Amino acid sequence: MKMPKPMDESYKLFIDGKWVNGKDGKTFKTFCPSNGKLLATCAEAGKEDVDKAVKAAWKAFESWKDVSPQERSGLLLKIADLIDANKDKLAMVETLDNGKPIRETMNVDVPLASDHFRYFAGVIRAEEGQAVMIDKDTLSIILREPIGVVGQIIPWNFPLLMGAWKIAPALAAGDTVVIKPSSATPLSLLELAKLLSKVLPPGVVNVITGAGSTTGQYLLDHPDLRKLAFTGSTEVGYSIADAAAKKLIPATLELGGKSANIYFPDCPWKKAIEGVLMGILFNQGQVCCAGSRVFLHEDIYDKFLKETIAEFKKVKVGPPWEPDTTMGSQVNDAQLKKILAYVEVAKKEGASVACGGVQMKDKSTENGCFMMPTILSDVKAKMRVAQEEIFGPVVCFIKFKEEADVICMANDSEYGLGGAVWTKDINRAFRVARAIETGRMWVNNYNNLPAHAPFGGYKKSGIGRETHKMMLEHYTQKKNIFISLSEEKVGFY
Amino acid sequence: MGNKGKITMITLQTNVEDIVNDHPQAITYGIENGVSFVFCVGAFPTSLGDLLRIKKVADPNAFVKGLNEYLINNPEK
Repeated sequence: MKMPKPMDESYKLFIDGKWVNGKDGKTFKTFCPSNGKLLATCAEAGKEDVDKAVKAAWKAFESWKDVSPQERSGLLLKIADLIDANKDKLAMVETLDNGKPIRETMNVDVPLASDHFRYFAGVIRAEEGQAVMIDKDTLSIILREPIGVVGQIIPWNFPLLMGAWKIAPALAAGDTVVIKPSSATPLSLLELAKLLSKVLPPGVVNVITGAGSTTGQYLLDHPDLRKLAFTGSTEVGYSIADAAAKKLIPATLELGGKSANIYFPDCPWKKAIEGVLMGILFNQGQVCCAGSRVFLHEDIYDKFLKETIAEFKKVKVGPPWEPDTTMGSQVNDAQLKKILAYVEVAKKEGASVACGGVQMKDKSTENGCFMMPTILSDVKAKMRVAQEEIFGPVVCFIKFKEEADVICMANDSEYGLGGAVWTKDINRAFRVARAIETGRMWVNNYNNLPAHAPFGGYKKSGIGRETHKMMLEHYTQKKNIFISLSEEKVGFY
Repeated sequence: MGNKGKITMITLQTNVEDIVNDHPQAITYGIENGVSFVFCVGAFPTSLGDLLRIKKVADPNAFVKGLNEYLINNPEK
């Protein structure tokens, strides 16, 4: 099937409701990682462009902050409707820019993105402040107020969905936004900006594109932001936290992971094996909460490994725009190099490559960045491949004997983002879920990330929670109005 | 971008994005030596020195020396 091309030839910056060239005239190109073909040319935002975007956001904030919850909710619902109405185009743009299969963008990325706007549209209609009589003459009122202009930086693994995760709660809270997608995958957010321009007043959302070292850094350094939000690696997260600390503003960070997918002998067998694939092959393993460490009880290790290998070999790796492709390409050659280097590290450390372990190269994939679904067996918990985030379709199989042992091994990680326990024993499920130091524990499922359930990390996996109404805490500030109802002197002076 | 393939001396001040763009084979060296240059937002956005500090590399100068030798011995195809 010939590669479709639904995107524009070129994109500008989206600032103050207008599409504008970067002041310096610099541009960069984005390519399809599945075949190396040029997709589009995008503008690169310089320092002045970033400043213009922030100023536009502040100008818009003056009126946006006073838009009623009812009206804001209505606008968020319109955005959701527009996303759904443009599902096919958004899904294909995302597939081509990122390399992920069309079946994922159609069934996961785009629907979850629109639902995110619907969720927050509902949340703010039920949101209320608080009031209490401190004593018979003193009333305390607590109101939630917008925080101002927020700067947001999102990664390349789920560009549209991460855009929704960031923009929806910020708008719901009454904030205005300057957001930068990764220069590897700018297109779906730029397409979303076209839809936003039909609904939102100018300047409420501004999209700037460019490299992390330039555009991203100008955004982090801008003195007039009231909050930063970032999804990406822990290493870059330190820089974001530092930039926020220097300005004494809050930052929410959703960072890396090395999540433990734990299997007991009474796991629901076929669903459990599927859970390995869901955990590590979904999005080509490029998921911060990927189940990249599979812990198998020794009683089931050999049989489970054998059957999982068989399932891995059935996965169709191919051009992501083809409807029967189950795994697409990695996002670019740099990521593929990283993954392949880790496979070599695994071998040097004494692990075995049970399947995969090499670049996928057949007629349909030879020009792209495709990796074979890979299982590393005989992995010990302390190996580098069991500790470091590989960010690809590479899973480590580690054997355990006792519940206490696997809890210890699972927690022996600087990360704490996701994880799962597979068992039909409800008591064990709760014990293990409670014992693992991680913000999300799935039980008998993996990589379900809808709105309405909070998601975020412990330890070096981040600060703050997304996909839930508690996000409003991060995007607002509390005003306390403390009222004396008495007209009598206090008598102190 | 225009320096792709041309061997230039990497220092602690070199921007990691430039290293990855000009010498993608450096990614393999990084992983072999415990440091990833690329992440889910792209290449690390500031200097190699900043990255090595975050990764608590014991001897950054030795890392850089090794990287430069690796690039000479492993030119990008």
